[in-house]
Amino acid sequence: MDKKTRTIALCGKGGVGKTSVSALIVKSLAKRKDLKVLAIDADPAVGLCTALGIPIKKTVDDIRNDLIKSIKKGEGQDKAATLKMLDYELFDALTEYNNVALLAIGRPESEGCFCKVNSLLKDIIHDLAKNFDVVLIDGEAGVEQINRRVMKTVDHLMMISDTSAKGVNVANTIKHLAQDNQAVNYKSMGMILNRVRNESEVQNIRKNVSINILGWLPEDDLIREFDFNGRSFLDFPEEAGACKTVNQIIQDLQIL
Amino acid sequence: MELFTETLANIKKYIEGKNCRSLSAKPDPDWPSGKGRNVVLSDEMAVELGSPQMNSVSCLIWTQNTDLIQDGKITLLGPDIPESTGKSLSFGKVVLLAVSGFDEESTYDKYKEMESVRYSLDLKGYMIRAVSQYQREWSRISKEAVQKGFSFDVFGSALQREYLKKDYIHAVEFLFVTSSAEDVGELQDITKNVGRTISAMNKMLSEIDPDCDECEYNDVCDEVDEIKKMKKNRDEKRTHTHG
Repeated sequence: MDKKTRTIALCGKGGVGKTSVSALIVKSLAKRKDLKVLAIDADPAVGLCTALGIPIKKTVDDIRNDLIKSIKKGEGQDKAATLKMLDYELFDALTEYNNVALLAIGRPESEGCFCKVNSLLKDIIHDLAKNFDVVLIDGEAGVEQINRRVMKTVDHLMMISDTSAKGVNVANTIKHLAQDNQAVNYKSMGMILNRVRNESEVQNIRKNVSINILGWLPEDDLIREFDFNGRSFLDFPEEAGACKTVNQIIQDLQIL
Repeated sequence: MELFTETLANIKKYIEGKNCRSLSAKPDPDWPSGKGRNVVLSDEMAVELGSPQMNSVSCLIWTQNTDLIQDGKITLLGPDIPESTGKSLSFGKVVLLAVSGFDEESTYDKYKEMESVRYSLDLKGYMIRAVSQYQREWSRISKEAVQKGFSFDVFGSALQREYLKKDYIHAVEFLFVTSSAEDVGELQDITKNVGRTISAMNKMLSEIDPDCDECEYNDVCDEVDEIKKMKKNRDEKRTHTHG
């Protein structure tokens, strides 16, 4: 039987530690040598690449912009040849670390609408993703961008929030958008709380939101220090509470 | 319709002038399927051929003269895959095909079908990324595949079987080059005109109203008789369509 690809997308309000959590999930998945993991940095600021300390060669938007330039110069070709070229360029854009391949989406720079190019790229990312056991998408704040720029269907939609009312409200809003507008198809949805000072904060939030809380990461000076100094989260100590929580969440979701 | 008579002769000369060895395609390669998963990451990779950092050339050459192609013959210049473990090598690949029924009307469509054959290979532990317009082919073979005996004869045999599924292909011969960037570069020079001929066909048949005076492939259309015939055929069809 063909192996199934499990897709996880993380979203949430800016500044709640979404990228740090994504990086810790990648660290956890990188331990499993029997799995192939595709980590997609869909944040225009390529925060996940920075958090993992993995330099990127080029982004999907670099490829997109090159293609648009060549189309404008009249160097068009048939669709099959274009798809194969994009596939080649996309694979060349991957940065590999052990069993993890990292793809950065980047920031679109070209003006105007190039829906066909975006659509081709989304098809190629989708085809590439099917070759991996786990795909993790570190998204922008909302789910619409995941749909628009990466893929329409994910298995696990994870909202990341700190304990602030603003963070939790954004998570709730994203949940409703995902449900009502069907902005992205998902099979399960949950929330990971970050920077929690004590368990009573979790209990309070649990009372006020209807999203399943998958786990919580304690406020941790070490995470802050890693962030502040640009240290790679791949080097984050395994025995830290944050790592243990992330490992547990992955186990509970039966991602592996 | 012969497009590559001179190139084919030059490739045969190239083979004769080098220290090549001959392998034979196996009648039944029997290699397990990758079940649609064809990514080999560097962590699990044994051999890499023609990566974007290395020299790489790949092309298809066809002839309707079946005497010129020896079906199942694999010529290898350089180390075979099992002898290259842990290496990233420059790579040259030429597929020589004996075909029938190619004319002004059908040549380009048949080329596109033949071009897509390499992507239909689904061999466990073998990954291909290729761009026809760059004439580049980048492949990776996993450690597990090499341990289980993946080599150019397995690869060539599987590829031969895929090509022979087309009823207009009657014989398939391969040249693989892994010896050096210089040898691959030499092959690039010999086959440069193949890429330009294909690009000229692509431009001529896919653009609605190409400006021939401005076209970078003008020389190809002027010099290659078969391309001239294709162009004439295209113009006649367009005149007929537009009344």
